[in-house]
Amino acid sequence: MTVQNEWDKKALKAAEDALGMNLNVIIWDPTKLNAMLAAKNPPDVVRGFGATETPYFAARGLMTDLDPYFAKSSALKVSDLDPVNDVWRYDGKKQGAGPRYGMAKDYSQDSMFWYRTDLFEAAKLDAPSATEPISCDEWLDLGKKLVKRRLGKVKVYGLNATGMGVFPQLMGMTASAGGSLFAEDLATVDFSSPEALKALRWYLDYAKADIGPSVSNPNPDGWDGPTYQANRMAMSCNGYWFGGLIGGDPKLAAVSRFAPAPQLGSHRVSSCFGATGFWIPRDAKNKEASWKFFEWYFGGKPAQERAASGWGIPSLTSLRSKMPQTSAFQKQAFQVQEKELPHFSVLSFTPYAQQAALEGVLSKVLPAALKSGTSAGVVADTLNSRMNEQLAQGKELVG
Amino acid sequence: MSTEQITAPGAPSPSGETAARPGPGTGVRADRRRSSLTTRRAFSFYAFAGPWVLGFLALTAFPLGYALWLSLTNSDGLSNNSHFVGLANYREVFTDPETLSSLARTGVFTAISVPLTLAAGLLLAVLVNQPIRARGLFRTLLYLPAVVPPVGAALTFKLIFDRDSGAANGFLDALHIDGVSWLMDPYARWVLITLTLWGAGNAMIVSLAGLQDVPKELYEAARIDGANTWQTFTRITLPLLSPVLFFQVVTGIIAAVQSFLPLLISLDPTPRGVSAVPEGNYLFMIHVFAQYFANGRYGYASAMLWVLFLIIVLITFLVFKLSRGAVFYAVDPEPDKPSRPRTLGGK
Repeated sequence: MTVQNEWDKKALKAAEDALGMNLNVIIWDPTKLNAMLAAKNPPDVVRGFGATETPYFAARGLMTDLDPYFAKSSALKVSDLDPVNDVWRYDGKKQGAGPRYGMAKDYSQDSMFWYRTDLFEAAKLDAPSATEPISCDEWLDLGKKLVKRRLGKVKVYGLNATGMGVFPQLMGMTASAGGSLFAEDLATVDFSSPEALKALRWYLDYAKADIGPSVSNPNPDGWDGPTYQANRMAMSCNGYWFGGLIGGDPKLAAVSRFAPAPQLGSHRVSSCFGATGFWIPRDAKNKEASWKFFEWYFGGKPAQERAASGWGIPSLTSLRSKMPQTSAFQKQAFQVQEKELPHFSVLSFTPYAQQAALEGVLSKVLPAALKSGTSAGVVADTLNSRMNEQLAQGKELVG
Repeated sequence: MSTEQITAPGAPSPSGETAARPGPGTGVRADRRRSSLTTRRAFSFYAFAGPWVLGFLALTAFPLGYALWLSLTNSDGLSNNSHFVGLANYREVFTDPETLSSLARTGVFTAISVPLTLAAGLLLAVLVNQPIRARGLFRTLLYLPAVVPPVGAALTFKLIFDRDSGAANGFLDALHIDGVSWLMDPYARWVLITLTLWGAGNAMIVSLAGLQDVPKELYEAARIDGANTWQTFTRITLPLLSPVLFFQVVTGIIAAVQSFLPLLISLDPTPRGVSAVPEGNYLFMIHVFAQYFANGRYGYASAMLWVLFLIIVLITFLVFKLSRGAVFYAVDPEPDKPSRPRTLGGK
């Protein structure tokens, strides 16, 4: 089960020839996946977000432990795995340890951001540093200066602060302020802690400023690509992978630059919220064939081509040298990315709820709070109450 | 006549004698034949009805029963630790403010969209029933949108009402009017209602069929009596069309309370996309979908669906009760019951 755009007829034929087996592609659909898992008739391999999905599926015993497969593989060596692959590990208590349940195809540090030099120049603003992260307050301030309005409507967004969802972004900001959104046992959230409250207050200020897509005014495009490309967004919070889109458009590449993840506090944290890859369901019927696909897709020609494309950092360290560094744009992005890598860390996600459930609570509570001008403290209490209720229900089921 | 010939008991024989009780030989044979015929008929019945019965058991009865069982548990569909919770889910349905508000919103949406669609369909039917040139073409063009599957129509609307590249804002731009975020509150609910009206071609076709069934003699008699167009419409057309309209009201209500269109015109029709459905369009079925697939609450969502099923049954029952005096049936639906005389207009 995977996304459609990667598997046109030609690619599918090439894959079948390379693997010597027939592939039946089921278009990725979380609803269908849930139904197939519930019916114990899952696909042989499933595309997913390692960072946010691994604890949920692993805690329910739905994933295959891949350690024995790695142990006997000559194509995929654990020693060659980038640390990002730890988001696909879960030991029953925390993410980043325990058996490996999947592997990332590539990844990014998703709190980093891209900006357009032409819009910075037009606003007579200095470009952000390529090595030192700016503070979130400076980031918001830049966004306010870069936004362009006409008749009260935003024509050019100053900033989109959440490329991979609001909840992970709040997790990352809280971590950079020195706290944690989840309790140690991952069974509750605490938006009332000083660090989380600071992150929440920042997001409410951002949404109130109306300088970019937010819970009360989502981007109709669904993602930043078309908006950024159409000169309608000055800064876009997306990781290295977004450079694949920018690099495909020379005019856009000429005016685009990459910057480190802004920090809310003094803790330099730059996490990954996706690490998209594949996993093998426990009830999959063709596990040997699934692993054969793994070896080819993650260690063979497709992996090499992906590494050279600029759509994300390869998840094998041996492929890092293939990352594109030809044009000035590619060189700048690569250098900024290299300097950011040491600050990567795994932020554990809860096994008791899916990200969609927590995003659902945010999208219900925050717009109403923004409209009524509710204080961040009260919003935090509401979020705690509603999310913890959901987490408690999930915990009851997982045990 | 051969001895094989069967004579019905009590019937006159060809010789003029009344047939006595069948003798041991002929009677047994007749019974056997009759029994064989009955068996054959029964076999045919079960052979023809069997696939439907199997389909009903597998695709309707079993899912309904399973959903009923799920509604009494705290299952998330994936964990092994789910257990029986009795009626807790049903109690929550009637106390959860979000569920109740989505139900209320669905009621308002139904109350607006069903009459509007019905009126639009009737108006179109009356128009395309006129003896005008290229009538067939107009009928086809007006019905065409109804042929488009709801997903396709929703995608089309998403493109038309897109804030940045949509035709609606393009039109406003041409008039030097600033565009708006059509797919967000407070405009989103009107886009939804417009999308519902987009399918009025279905109502048009049904009403048109009903219109063509109205006897021409009644119109001629009314004209001779000096009735004007409005009087003819309200005294003849509407009463004779009332069973057709009633059918559309019932099916329209059932479809509207189960409407899933808001999610289709949201940014992303997945569990993640549920959070992008604007508050004004957050209908009951969207909440059910969110509970199932975003929150993983199969038990609670199943209880919500059972409650919705009972609400639909209740509404349908009430609509039938309330419509007794307003629907004119050319053929009495309950001929065995003593009924009061019916006149046109149900008075």
